Amino acid sequence: MADEFAKGLGLLTGAGLIWMVLAGWYKTPSFSGAQLTGAPPSDLSMLGEVALILLESMFWLAIFGALLFWVGVPLGRELYAKVEGE
Amino acid sequence: MADDEHTDDAARTDGTGIVPPDDETPTWRERKERTTGLSRLTYEYFERSRREDQDLREESDYVERDVLAFPVWPHELIRNLALTSFFVGMIFFLASTLPPHLGAPANPSQTPSIILPDWYLYWSFGLLKLGPLNPDLAILGGEKLMADRTYGVVANLVVVGFIAIVPFLNKGSARRPVEQPFWASVGVMGVVFAVTISALSMKNLVPLDSSLLFDLTFLVPPIAGAITYAVLKTMREGYMYDLNRRYYKLRPPK
Repeated sequence: MADEFAKGLGLLTGAGLIWMVLAGWYKTPSFSGAQLTGAPPSDLSMLGEVALILLESMFWLAIFGALLFWVGVPLGRELYAKVEGE
Repeated sequence: MADDEHTDDAARTDGTGIVPPDDETPTWRERKERTTGLSRLTYEYFERSRREDQDLREESDYVERDVLAFPVWPHELIRNLALTSFFVGMIFFLASTLPPHLGAPANPSQTPSIILPDWYLYWSFGLLKLGPLNPDLAILGGEKLMADRTYGVVANLVVVGFIAIVPFLNKGSARRPVEQPFWASVGVMGVVFAVTISALSMKNLVPLDSSLLFDLTFLVPPIAGAITYAVLKTMREGYMYDLNRRYYKLRPPK
């Protein structure tokens, strides 16, 4: 149980940290406006496009990774135990 | 215990003693899954750690002292160095990847449109906005006893005073919220109230109706406290609560 919590927390914080840095680079046009959620610049290099994909995937990895280990895996174990009749 | 039974001081590892041999030591998963014999398990746990401690002290070349503790090196320092390295590294990482914004210098001749204290004083700033709670007294002909700003300062005294008397109201030795759900819910209520009163302090920036926000400031904390109480009461039924209560009883009385 505690192992699953640590895995989910690690995914949430690790992927969230990478997302925060990339969003600070690409989705923060100015300090006074929207931060981390602004529109990315349109003229991006190849590297920038890859970084945007990585940014989005890290965001969803943080959310669904934590959900998987905190909700999905325990739920699956409960269902498996029910099916097995334990 | 007969003296002729144990003449050697070495830990017996053949399974006859209280300390099981290493290949028979239950894993943590097995310990967690074992639901019976909890007192035995607790006893074995403490006895094993006591025995290990005793063996370590007897084998070490340190002078035997009255103080039972781990030496600072390496136990404490390795852990502290690891933690320090992590946080220093995180500071370097964030400072290099997300350098802070340097704004224009402040203009001392112009008052900014939004005035707020530092974030950790928002709660006190919010207490200054309790004007609607200041009663109009009929005995004074509808006048207020004190000005709204005085009322806000007195509210600060009330909150600080309540925080100050909580340790005198509950001197329990509970270390886990599940052991004393009521006081845990009181704590949650206070934390949530700190958040809501902070939201009230910047009510012109919160996208809510001002009077609705004022009501929510005082309605949300009791609701959060009630939910906490219910959840903790439910958690008491679990296995871990029995273990916690056992440790709780093992503690010295206050």
